This record gives sequence, C-alpha cells and structure tokens, in this order.
Amino acid sequence: MSDALLLNAVLWLPVLGMLALPLLPRGNDAAVRALTLAVVALELACAAWLLVRFDGSVAGLQAETRLPWIRAWGVEYHIGLDGLNVLLVALTAFLGPLVVAGAFSAVQRDVKLFHAMLLLIQFTMLGTLLAQDLFLFYVFWEAMLIPMFLLIGVWGGERRIYATLKFVLYTAFGSILMLAALIYLVYTLPWHGGSVSFAFEYLYRHPPAAAAQNWLFAAFALSFAIKVPIVPLHTWLPDAHVEAPTAGSVILAGVLLKMGTYGFMKLGVPLFPEAARFFTPAMMTLAVISILYGACLALVQTDIKKIIAYSSISHLGYVMLGLASASLLGIQGAILQMVSHGLVAGGLFLMIGMIYERCHTRDLAAYGGLAKLLPVYSLFFMILTLAAVGLPTTSGFAGEFMVLIGSFDAAWPLYEQGHAAALVLAGSAVLGVVLGAWYMLWFAERFLFGAARAPHQPLVDLGRRERLILAAIVAAVFAIGLYPGPLLEKTELAARQYQKVLQGSAAAEVRP
Amino acid sequence: MIFQTVLTAMLPEHLLLAGIVTLLALEIGAGRPRGALVHAVASAATVAAALAALWLHASHYSGAPFPGHYAIGPATALAKFLVLALAVPVLLLSREQFDDARYYVLLLGSLYGACLLPSSMSFLTLFLGLELLSLPVYVLVLLAFQRPEGAEAALKYLVLGGAATATFLFGTSFLYGATGTLAIEGFSMAFWSGDPAALSGAALIIAALFLKAAIVPLHAWAPDAYEAASVPVTAYMATIIKAAVLLAALRIFAVAPVAGLVALLPLLSMVWGNLAAIRQSSFRRMIAYSSIAHAGYLFFAFLGAGPGRYQAVMFYLATYGVMTLLAFTALPGGSDDARADRLDSLKGLFHRRPAAALAIAAAMLSLAGLPPLPGFVAKFLVFRNVLAAGHTGWAVAGLVASYLGLYFYLRVIQIMFMQESAEAAGDAGSRRLSWLAGLLCLVPAVTFAIFPGWLLDRL
Repeated sequence: MSDALLLNAVLWLPVLGMLALPLLPRGNDAAVRALTLAVVALELACAAWLLVRFDGSVAGLQAETRLPWIRAWGVEYHIGLDGLNVLLVALTAFLGPLVVAGAFSAVQRDVKLFHAMLLLIQFTMLGTLLAQDLFLFYVFWEAMLIPMFLLIGVWGGERRIYATLKFVLYTAFGSILMLAALIYLVYTLPWHGGSVSFAFEYLYRHPPAAAAQNWLFAAFALSFAIKVPIVPLHTWLPDAHVEAPTAGSVILAGVLLKMGTYGFMKLGVPLFPEAARFFTPAMMTLAVISILYGACLALVQTDIKKIIAYSSISHLGYVMLGLASASLLGIQGAILQMVSHGLVAGGLFLMIGMIYERCHTRDLAAYGGLAKLLPVYSLFFMILTLAAVGLPTTSGFAGEFMVLIGSFDAAWPLYEQGHAAALVLAGSAVLGVVLGAWYMLWFAERFLFGAARAPHQPLVDLGRRERLILAAIVAAVFAIGLYPGPLLEKTELAARQYQKVLQGSAAAEVRP
Repeated sequence: MIFQTVLTAMLPEHLLLAGIVTLLALEIGAGRPRGALVHAVASAATVAAALAALWLHASHYSGAPFPGHYAIGPATALAKFLVLALAVPVLLLSREQFDDARYYVLLLGSLYGACLLPSSMSFLTLFLGLELLSLPVYVLVLLAFQRPEGAEAALKYLVLGGAATATFLFGTSFLYGATGTLAIEGFSMAFWSGDPAALSGAALIIAALFLKAAIVPLHAWAPDAYEAASVPVTAYMATIIKAAVLLAALRIFAVAPVAGLVALLPLLSMVWGNLAAIRQSSFRRMIAYSSIAHAGYLFFAFLGAGPGRYQAVMFYLATYGVMTLLAFTALPGGSDDARADRLDSLKGLFHRRPAAALAIAAAMLSLAGLPPLPGFVAKFLVFRNVLAAGHTGWAVAGLVASYLGLYFYLRVIQIMFMQESAEAAGDAGSRRLSWLAGLLCLVPAVTFAIFPGWLLDRL
C-alpha cells in the first residue's frame, strides 16, 4: 500500500469506526470498547509504519494527497506529513489506544456516545495536524470543539457544564477572529496569478503586506495562545482539566494543547514572518511568564489534577520559548518537548484517573504513603514524576534541556550587543526548572511517602491492563530520553526551515 | 404564443393553484373530506410545483409572460424550487396536527405568494406576492388556537404586518412619484439619482422588508407569533417566509449600492437576537430570536458585491432552511403543546430518543456556524463576500456577533445530553411522517456539508 493511502487510512479510520458504532446491538458495551480499541490500534499500526518510513532528509511533504474539494473557492483536500507534524501525528495515534483502554472501567454511562466522541476527536485532531490547506485546517480546528464539549460535559465531574462551556467559549472566541483574519488573508490582498488558493505552500510564498501582517498575526496568535494556553489566557484550562473525565484530560493535555504550539509553528510564524519577528520578544516574555506562573500555581494546589493542569501551562511555556528562540536547538527541543509532555502529562492524568477510580477523591490531603499501599502504582508514578521534572535519561530532560540551551544560544549574541533582556528571560526559564522540580517532587513526597493513608482501603494495586498502558508510556519516555537521535533527524530539516523563516534574511547575515 | 408562455413560465404557480382549487372543491363537494386525502392533495400539488420549478431551471427556460411585471429565468426557477422544496417537510409535519382543508388551502396560497416574489419585475407584482405570502399566515397563526396568547400574538402580527404593507405602499408611491416608474429598477435608480423623495421611498421599502424579515428593532412580533403558532406553522414562518422575503430583497436590491444603509440594523439583529435567545425557555421563542439573528446574517450578504449576492443568499437560505426544519422534525411532540414547547421538555432527550437528539444537535451546531456542518460554509460565504468588498470592520463585527450565538445553541445540546430527564415526558408514539421529513432535510444537509462545491457551482 502506498504511503499516501496509508495516511488517509490513519485519518479516516476513526470515522469508519464511528459510523460502525451505531450498528452494534444496544447495551453491548464490551463490543463497543473492543471495536473502538481495534480501530485505534490499527490506526496506531499505520501511523507507526509511516513514522518509520518518514525520510527526514527530504524537504517538503511526504505521503501527500491533494484533491480538489470546493473547486469554486480553490479549496483542496490536501494532507501530508512533514517534519513538523510527523511526531505529533505519531503521538496522537499512540495515545489513542491508551485512552480507550484507560476508560474500560471508568466510563459506564452512554458508552457508545463516549467512544464515538473519542473517535471523532481523534479524527479532528489528526485532520488539524495533517491539513495543508488553510480552509481544511480551520474546519478541523474548529470541529475539535464539538467532541471535547461533549466529553467534558457528559462524563465530567460536578461542575462539568460550567467547565465545558468555558472551554468552548474561550477557544471559539479565538477561532472567530482567526476566521476573520483567514478570510482577509486569502481574499483581500493582492494576488499573483489571479486565482485564489488556500494551500499553505502558496500562502507561505506570498506573505501579506507588512502593514496588515501584525493584525493578522495577532488574530491567529490569539487563537493559538488560548489553546496552548499562554498566561493570561489560561483560566479555562484548570477548570476543563479538573472537570473532564480521565480520557478528556489525557487528550487535552496530550494532544489538544499542542495544537496551539503547532499552530504557531505551522501557520503563525511562516505565514506572517515579519510580524512574528516583531512579536518575538513579547512571545518570549509571555512564555517565561507562563513557565514561572504555571509552576508557582502548581506549587500551591491541593487538588492532584490541578497540580498537573498547572504544570502543563508551565511545560508548554518551554515549548513556546523554544519556538520563539530562533535557534535550531531550541526549535528541535520544543518539538521534542511537545511529544514528551504529551506522554508524561497524559500518563500522569491516566494515573490520577486510576487512583480516582479507587478512592473517589482528588484531594491531596486524603492521600499519603501510597508507596506502601500500592507499590506498582507508586513506581510508575515516580518514574513519570521524574520525567516531568526532567531527569536525564527521560524524554523530559531532552526536550527541556535543548530548549534552555537554545534560548541561551539565542540570547548571548543579543547580550553582546548590549541587550540583556533575552538573557534575563533565559535565566528565569532555568528558575522554572527549579520550581518544576520543587512542586513535582513535593507533590510526590506528600502523595507517595509518609504515613500510609487513603480513603476506601484496602486498595487493589494496578491490574494487568493498567500496567500495560503505563508500561507503554514509560517505555516511550525512556526511549526518547535515551536515544532521541532518530526523532530529531526526522524533524531537523523542517526545524531549519522554520528557523530560517523566523530569522529572516537580515538576522541570518549576523549569525554564523 | 403568449398563452403558452403563461402556461409554461408559471407552471409551478398553476400547479399550486390547481391544488387549492381541488381542495376547495373537495371541501364543498364532500362536506368534511378525509384528512389523509386532503393532505395527499396538498403534498402532491407542492411536490409537483417543486418539480416543475426544477424542470424550468434544468431546461434553462426563460420567459416573460407579463413583460415588465413577471419574468422567469433559470436563477428565478431555482429560487422557487428552494422555497417549494422547503415546504415539503413542513407539509409532512402538518399531517399530525391538521387534517382540515382550510389549513392546506391557506398554506398553498401563501406558497403561491412566495413563488411570485422571485419573479417580480415591478413593485406591483412584488406587493401582490408579499401580501399573498403574509395574509394566509395571519390566519395560520390563529388556527392552532390552543392558548389565549395565540390570539394576542396573531393580532400583533396582523397589525404589524398591516403597518409593513402601508410602509411598503407608501415607499412605492414615493418612488413612483420621483422616478415615474413602478419597475423594480426604480429602486437602484433612486440611489444613482440621489433625489430625496426617491431615497425616502427606498428607505421606506427597506423598512417594510426589515419588518417582514424581523430585523431589530422591527422584530417584536416574531417571538410572540412563533411561540403562539403550532410547530409546522412556526417552521413555515422561520424558513419559507424568511426565504421569500429575502428573495424579494434580492430582487429589489439587485446591484443597488445599499451597503452602509443595510448594515447597521442587521448587525444589531445579530447581537440582540443572539443575546435575547439565551434567556428563552420556550423552544419556538428561542428559534424566533435565532431567526432574527439569521435575518441579520442574510441581510449582511447585501454588503457584498452585486453579483455574489444571489449565490450567498441562496446558499444561506438553503442550509439555514434545511437545518431549521431538521430541528423541527426531530422535536418530540406531545399532547400538551405548551409543555412540549418548553426547553425543559428536551431534558435528557438523548437517553429517550438518541436519533432525535443527534439531529437537533446537528441542527443547532449548524445554525451556530460550527464546521464541519453546512451552516459554517454559508456563514463563510457571506462574510467572505463582505470582506472581499472591503468592509473589514463590518465583517469582523458580524463575526463577533455570530460568536455571541454559540452559547444558546450549545445550551440546547447541554440540555439534551447533559441533564437527566425530569420525568417520562409524554412523547408521541410513532411519527413516520416526521421521520420522512427529517430524512428529506438530512440528505441535503449532509450533501451541503461534504460537497458544498456541488451546490455553489449551481448557483
């Protein structure tokens, strides 16, 4: 089978699964779970094969499909893999089966709708990542809201309706301005050749006039920044995370937040390079504020889900910092950090879901000394905690370290020219690592060690299914941490391209 | 041969008229004819008229049986087909509540008016069409007279409708006095000439259209009328009347530079319609405010350049009509009309009737303009034209106003999916015709969502 066909299979398999679900007999939840798991597992197999086949030394798209969709508007169904999206596609496919398997026992209500929504969000997330046409991208981007709205709203916690409406209304506000900017970009600027096109590659080659760029970039950036989320647009995230069911939290932290950073990488910067350069200092500042503010808030939480939620804000701050640094190491590190955070935060949310199923509380004060009560659980939890802290040999180390080196790398020449601000920012980001170690290790200490106590004793340690899920995540965490080379090879060319765009020709002359 | 032109060009209208005459004959001849028979005659006449309009469109027929007053071309025929096709699900919905020949005579009469509007070449025909469209509906609102508020709402509607008629006539006479013609081009000429009398005539005509389409601040009749009428009549008002009035506006505005003049009030309609809908507890009242907001989007299409207006309005009407009707077909009925209309009666609908809940959810998301539903493409088309015509500020304001509507559409989904049903609501049992009507809406809805280009190429 050709790669292009395989990529289409990755994208459309969830839709096929979703259409098949209503045909299953009513009340047969086991069949629904089995079918969904089979679909996402098959999808993972296809995605893994594509990741292996992906050739990092070739520029441009691979496994590309390009068909006219709305001819009258020049809109195309155009999907493909490149260095920027290939790892995120693999991450999305990897988390799919884990999410489905993780919800085997947790979800007992409206099982069919739940799995249909899991498949739908898988489809829309993959579509957002794969789209190479701005119209198609927007359709998928906005459609992501619908399944997430239901996932949080139907299977969430007590304040689920407040949380889900807040999530949708926040993100939709960004999207509506992005839509205005998108139409303006495509239709009102002078065009070369007469015909209108939404294709990314076409828009990359024809950036809009400098006067309009700042506004357009601001509209796109607002939408992406809400999704990431960057402080001060983050207030929807803790509510959404806390109220969402485990599967929703894992998807949210694992993939959905990365859509924001991916948007900056794929659209915000390359579409409006001059505006992006103009806003880079602001982006770096906000990124560092996110790192520190998220970490500080994580420090004082007593709800275990909220700790991880705020740590996500902090960790995605590193991604933004790396993307804004315009150094190859920083950009590569940002991409790696996205994958790493997807695995680690996804894993931690799964583990919180597992303990919640047993004890029905998220209050940290109710727990203590789980290492004695649940040794296997505690082992996995400790590994993921250390990965979140960024212990060498784990994926968290590789990503964060590269981002920090990259930001110093970018700040040093500026310092030599007499601008110390960038260096101060890079230094503050290091402070974030210290804070990160503090809140995570302190959390683990209170949670796992000390006097043993937990509601609903005696507790049953992890079953085979749960061990398998976590083993898969831990294996991936170590694999990336010990041997990130193959992945970095795949993204290097695309990262260089991105770097070139962000630096522009003027900056490129100054740098070696 | 003029006779043949009259016969062919007005075939859809003739078929409707044949339906009306047959129904009247049945009523007179058979005393009280059986409901099924009446319903079959009315449906057959409408379907035949729709097919005739489609045939006229497909055969690229154009003719002017009454030169200067009435003309038809492929685009006009398609507009008629749209209106008539939307009427079919409404008729299917009506069977449950009405088996009275009077109802169907009035409905077909109103449809006749809706068919005249896209063909009008003069303000005379236009006036005829608008009156024929509205007069039967005043009675239709009252026909489902189950609540005392029904009479009040119908009276309100009648009085304001009469005011609209007067305003329209007043404006037309101003225009006639200033330009010396009743032809529809007089409207555009008023703008080119800049004559104050002609301009005030044009303004009065626009005001009358705004009233008929329920644009803020001339919208107050709509929520009352929508709530008081029975479900099929509300569906008829929300879709076909709205469509017919917009098609009339399309005829009048044609290529007139109405930009700034028509933008402000529609924008207010979007904002107010979307905000007021949040507070409603009656489904039909909520749809009324939703339709006020959508009238705003539709009039925004006239901010775009002249040639693109037809495509934008037609596409919008098609998707908006289909999705609104889909919501109405899926609505669970009940013996107690007032209670069935409460939004609360939708609580936990997904657990009782998953298919109906999913259909209503799809309709709400489409009306909210979220992709991948067809309402998004329609909204995109309208705002694309506005932006391409250089009205950036209006477009951004309109898009932000459309964002305000998201909340109340989502609230319907929240009620259906995220709340437990309070009690076993007395849903009606088997409703085969509603299913059929829903299917009739679903097929085009899916087509418009997946292949919007297919429809765009035909407009």
